[in-house]
Amino acid sequence: MRRVELAVVGAGPAGLSAAIEAARHGVEVVVFDENQRPGGQLFKQIHKFFGSKEHRARERGFRIGEDLLKEARELNVTVELETVVSGIYDGLELVVTKNDRVEHLRANAVVIATGASENMIPFPGWTLPGVIGAGAAQTMCNLHGVKPGKNILMVGSGNVGVVVGLQLIQAGCSLEAVIDASPRVGGYGVHAAKIARTGVPFHLRHTIKEVYGKDRVEGAVIVEVDEKWQPVPGSEKDLKVDTVCMAVGLSPMYQLSKIAGCETVEDPSRGGVVPICDEYGATTVPGIYVAGDVSGIEEASSAMIGGKIAGASAALKQGYLAQDVFEERYAAFRKSLEQLRQGQFGHGMKGKKITHTQEGIEVSESLLCRGFVDESEILRFPGIPSEEIRMRGLTPVIECTQNIPCDPCREACVKGCIRIGESITDLPSLSKEVQCTGCGMCVAACPGQAIFLLNQNYSDGEALVVLPYEFQPLPEAGDEGTACDRSGNPVGKAKVLKVQKAKTMDGTAVLSMIVPRELAMTARFFRPSGSEERRA
Amino acid sequence: MAESNRRKAPEGEYVPKADDDLLICRCEEVSQGDIRRALHQGLRTMNEIKRETRLGMGLCQGQTCTRIARAFIARELGVAPGEVGLPTPRTPARPVPMTVIARDGIMDEAAGEGI
Amino acid sequence: MAETNDVIIIGGGVIGCSIAYYLTKKGIKPLVIEKREIGTGGSSRNGGGVRQSARDPRELPLAMHGVKNLWPGLSEELGSDVEYCQGGNLRMGKTEAHIKFLTAMVESQKKLGLELEMVDGDRVKEILPYASDSIIGASWCPTDGHGNPMLTTLAFYKKALEKGAEFIVGESVEDVIIRKGKVAGVRTDGGTYDAPLVINAAGVGARDIARKVGLDIPMQPRLVEVIVTDQQPVLFDQMLGTAGSDFYGHQSKHGSFVFGGMTGWEDREFYDHRQVTKSNTAPATCRAILDYFPWMERTNVVRAWSGILAVVADGVPVMGPAEELPGFYFASCFCGHGYGISPAVGEQMAELVAEGRSTLPLDAFRFDRFLPKN
Ligand SMILES: Cc1cc2nc3c(=O)[nH]c(=O)nc-3n(C[C@H](O)[C@H](O)[C@H](O)COP(=O)(O)OP(=O)(O)OC[C@H]3O[C@@H](n4cnc5c(N)ncnc54)[C@H](O)[C@@H]3O)c2cc1C
Ligand SMILES: Cc1cc2nc3c(=O)[nH]c(=O)nc-3n(C[C@H](O)[C@H](O)[C@H](O)COP(=O)(O)OP(=O)(O)OC[C@H]3O[C@@H](n4cnc5c(N)ncnc54)[C@H](O)[C@@H]3O)c2cc1C
Ligand code: SF4
Ligand code: SF4
Repeated sequence: MRRVELAVVGAGPAGLSAAIEAARHGVEVVVFDENQRPGGQLFKQIHKFFGSKEHRARERGFRIGEDLLKEARELNVTVELETVVSGIYDGLELVVTKNDRVEHLRANAVVIATGASENMIPFPGWTLPGVIGAGAAQTMCNLHGVKPGKNILMVGSGNVGVVVGLQLIQAGCSLEAVIDASPRVGGYGVHAAKIARTGVPFHLRHTIKEVYGKDRVEGAVIVEVDEKWQPVPGSEKDLKVDTVCMAVGLSPMYQLSKIAGCETVEDPSRGGVVPICDEYGATTVPGIYVAGDVSGIEEASSAMIGGKIAGASAALKQGYLAQDVFEERYAAFRKSLEQLRQGQFGHGMKGKKITHTQEGIEVSESLLCRGFVDESEILRFPGIPSEEIRMRGLTPVIECTQNIPCDPCREACVKGCIRIGESITDLPSLSKEVQCTGCGMCVAACPGQAIFLLNQNYSDGEALVVLPYEFQPLPEAGDEGTACDRSGNPVGKAKVLKVQKAKTMDGTAVLSMIVPRELAMTARFFRPSGSEERRA
Repeated sequence: MAESNRRKAPEGEYVPKADDDLLICRCEEVSQGDIRRALHQGLRTMNEIKRETRLGMGLCQGQTCTRIARAFIARELGVAPGEVGLPTPRTPARPVPMTVIARDGIMDEAAGEGI
Repeated sequence: MAETNDVIIIGGGVIGCSIAYYLTKKGIKPLVIEKREIGTGGSSRNGGGVRQSARDPRELPLAMHGVKNLWPGLSEELGSDVEYCQGGNLRMGKTEAHIKFLTAMVESQKKLGLELEMVDGDRVKEILPYASDSIIGASWCPTDGHGNPMLTTLAFYKKALEKGAEFIVGESVEDVIIRKGKVAGVRTDGGTYDAPLVINAAGVGARDIARKVGLDIPMQPRLVEVIVTDQQPVLFDQMLGTAGSDFYGHQSKHGSFVFGGMTGWEDREFYDHRQVTKSNTAPATCRAILDYFPWMERTNVVRAWSGILAVVADGVPVMGPAEELPGFYFASCFCGHGYGISPAVGEQMAELVAEGRSTLPLDAFRFDRFLPKN
C-alpha cells in the first residue's frame, strides 16, 4: 500500500497551510479535496479579507486560495482535487475516491481540515425551490455568474449574511431585507454598513414565519420575536421575494474525524460538535490532527494559523523539526492567533452585549440595530477628523467603529496618515499631521469599505466626497446622480468628478463626487440617475 | 438512579399539534409530528428516532437535518441537545457507486499489478 | 432503597424487548435495563433475515414456529409495521461444488419438515428475474423472508412499554445480587434493583454478566458488516444468500438494498469493543454482489456499518434457567440469527418464566451443554 508521511484532508486555508508548514520542514505531503478548485470556502469569496499582512488581509479570498496552492506546489506538495476522502480507518489508512477510482493509502500523520457545512432552520415552506443556502447563492453568483433570484431576503446578519448580501447586490439582485432573530447585527459593522447604504433595511429581532408559493418561493412572511424568542402576534410583514437566502450559521464537519475514531464534544462556542483536540490540534487518535473550521468555526485567518500549528506538529512528530525550533514557531503562531481572537468579535464574545469599545467609546447602537452608524454618533470615533481639518483640505474619514482584527488601512497609507494602536483590534485613528495626497489607496484597501476622503471646502458651497465603489456599470466622470446617506436614503444631488481605477486597488474603484457642502458628513453613497430607488 | 433514565408507559393518546406537518428531514420526509409521535410512544434518543422514522438516513446521511432534529428533540424533551445523543457518521463520507468500491485495486495490487 | 420488580431483563435488544412484551401478555410487568439505547446492539444492525433454511436442527423448530404462527400477524399485534415480508429465501450457487453443498443442505432440512427445494438456473430466473445468468442453481425456501430489525425491536419496546413494562435506559448492569442462595436483583452504575428473577439478554455483554455469577459460556464477539444503498425502485422481495456465504441481503420496503458481506477474516480480526468498519469489507461485499447482480454497478452505497455477533462455540443460542442459581435465566448467544427467531424466543421465554415450562422444548439450549471432547 502507498504510504505517505502526511495526508491532509481539505484544501481550504487550514489544510493548505498545514501542508505548506509541514512541507517546509521536509515532510512529504499529499492534500485531498473533493472540490474542483482549491481554497475551500475561499474560492467563492470575492471580497477583500480582514486581518493584517501576515494573515493576507485586503487580498480577496479566492486569491488567497490560489496563492496558498501555488506556495504548496512550489514546496512539492501533491494536491489532489476532485478527490473525496471517503473513510479513515485504523492504522491511519485512508480510502480516497477520485472520479471512478478508489485508492487505499496509509499515512504516518493525518490533518483533518474539512471545514464546515451550512446550517438550516426549518419553517413552513423551507423545502420550496428558492430557499437556498448562502453558500449555494455564492456559488451561483460568484462562480457561475447567474443570479440566484431577483428579489432576495437574507436570513442572518452574521458575516456570511452581510458578505453574501453584498455579493448578491453586486450580481444585480435586489436585496429586500436582512433579518435576524437576534437583537443585534451579528457580523462586522463595516460589512453591514456596505449594504445598509445601498438602502437595504435590517429587521433585527425578526424571524421567518413562513415562505409561500406554488412551485417555488413567491413571498416570505417575517415576524418580530420578543425577548424569549417568541413571535409577537400581529407583527407579521409580507415580503414579495422570489428567493430566501439562509445564512444562519455553520457547523463544523466533524463527521470524517468521528469516522476516524476521534472523540467529539458538544461545544456551542465552537459551533456545535467538534473533535476533541489539544492546543497543537492533536485529537484523541494518535497521529490525527485537526485545524480550521472543523475544530471550531472561526475565520480564514485563524484557520491558516491553526493549519500551520497542525503542520508543524506533524513535522515534529516525524523528526523533521527539532523541539526547540518547533516551540519557537509555535509561540509565534500562538501569538498571532491570540491577536486575532481579541476584540469584540473575539473568542468567547458571542452573544455578549458590548457597550464600549476598547478605547472606552460608547458603541454605535444604530450600527448594531440598523446596520449603519448614525450621523449623530459618528463624530465620537477617532477616525473622524474635526471640522477644522475637514475644511482645510482633503482628509481621510474613517468610519470604522468596532474593535475588529484588521489593519490594512495603516499599511496602505505611505504618508502615515492612519494609525492603529498596539493591538490589531484597536480602532484606526488619524495621525496629528494628516498630509493626505488623495491617492485613494486607503479607500481601496479597506476591506470594510469604511474609509472615505473628504474635502468639505471643495468649492463655494460644495464638498468633495471620495468613496469606494464596487458596482457595475461603473459611473464615469461627469455622471450625475443622487447622493445617499448611510441608510441609503437619497439626500441630494451628486456629480461624479472622477473614478480612479488602478491595479493596486484590486478591483475597488475610488469614486469622487461633488455634493452640497451641508451633505459632507451625510452623503456616503452614490446612486447613478436612472437606477431605481429603493426607499422614498 | 437518575429518574431521567426511566421510561414508562405513555399517558393517553398523542394529541396532534398545529405545526406537526413541518418537515425536519427533507430527504426522508420526516416531520415534526412524526418525531413528536415517536417521543410520545417512549422513544428518547436521536438514534432511536432515526431508526423509527428514517430521519437522517437519506442520501445526505443527516448532513442538514441532524442539527435541526437534535435541537427539536431536545426542545421537546426540555433537555440540552448534547443529551439526546448523536448519530454515528459512517463511511463512505459521500455516496459511492458499488462498482467503484468494488474496484478498489487491492486485489490487483496483491496480484502484483498495481494500480 | 432498592425497588422491587417481578422480573429484570438485562439488555434492550430485540430479544430483551420481545421477552418483555410477551411477559406483559402474561400479566408480568418486567423491568428492562439497557446500558445504551434501545436496539443499539446487533438488533438494529442486522441483515433482517427471517430464515428457517440452513438453521441448526435444534433451532429450526423455533424458527418454523415463528414463521408459521408469529411473524405474519406481528405488525398488527404490535400496532407498528415491522415490514415483515415473506418473499422466500434464495441461496444461490455458481459452481458444481456450490450445488453439491446446497443439495446436501436441502436434503437434510427437508427431513426435518421444512418446505424447501433445489431449483435450477431457469427457475431462479423465474423467481428472481434480476439474477445474472451465471447462477446455475439455488436452494429455495418460499416461506422464508425478511423484516426491518430496527422497527421490530422498537415495536416490541413500544408495545411492552404501553402494556406496563418499565425500562431503564442509560445504566449498565454491573453485578447480579445473590441473597440466601437465590438471585435477588442487579446493581447498575446508577442504582440497585431487586427482583427474584433476572434474564440475561445482554447480547455480546451476556458473557460478562454470566461470569459475575460464576457461569461462563464459550462465546466470542465477532464484528461483521452491512452496507446499504440509496433508494431504488422496489424490484424484488426475496431474501438472498449465496452458497459461498460471501454476501446476503434483501431490498427494504423503502427501496434501499441492505447487504451483509465479509472478507473471510472476521473471526480473526482485531477486536477492542469499538464497532468500526474495516477498509476491505465493503469492497469485498460489493465485488460479491456485482458478481451476482452486475446491473447494480451504479447503485450508490450510502453507508457501511458494523455490528457484533455473539458467536457461541456450537452456533445455537444459550437459553433457559441456570437451575444451580435459582432465578438466573439466559437468553443469549444468538450468533447471526437471533433476529428471525426473536418473536419465538420472547414467547417461549415468557411461558417459561410465567408458567415454569414452554411449549417448545428449550433443553437443547442449556448453558451447561459445553462439555469436553473426551
Ligand atoms: C461567505 C463567507 C465569507 C467569509 N469571509 C471571511 C473573511 O472575510 N475573512 C476571513 O478570515 N474568513 C472569512 N470566512 C471564513 C473562512 O472562509 C473560513 O473560516 C475558512 O475557509 C475555513 O477554512 P478551513 O480550511 O477550515 O475550511 P474550508 O475552507 O471550508 O475547507 C475545507 C475543505 O475540505 C474539503 N473537504 C471536506 N470534506 C472532505 C472529504 N471528505 N474529502 C475531501 N475533501 C473534503 C472541502 O471540499 C473544502 O474544500 C468567510 C466564510 C464565508 C462562508
Ligand atoms: C451484521 C449482522 C447481521 C445479522 N443478520 C441477521 C439476520 O439476517 N437474521 C437474523 O436472524 N439475525 C441476524 N443477526 C443476528 C441478530 O442481530 C442478533 O442475534 C440479535 O440482534 C440478538 O439480539 P440481542 O437482543 O440478543 O442482542 P443485542 O441487540 O446486542 O442486545 C443486547 C443489549 O444488551 C445491552 N447490554 C449489554 N451489556 C449490558 C449490561 N451490562 N447492562 C445493560 N445492558 C447491557 C446492549 O447495550 C444491547 O443493547 C445479525 C447480526 C449482525 C451483527
Ligand atoms: S488617500 Fe492616500 S494619502 Fe490620503 S490617507 Fe489615504 S492612503 Fe493616505
Ligand atoms: S478602517 Fe482599517 S481597520 Fe477598519 S476595516 Fe478598514 S482597513 Fe480594517
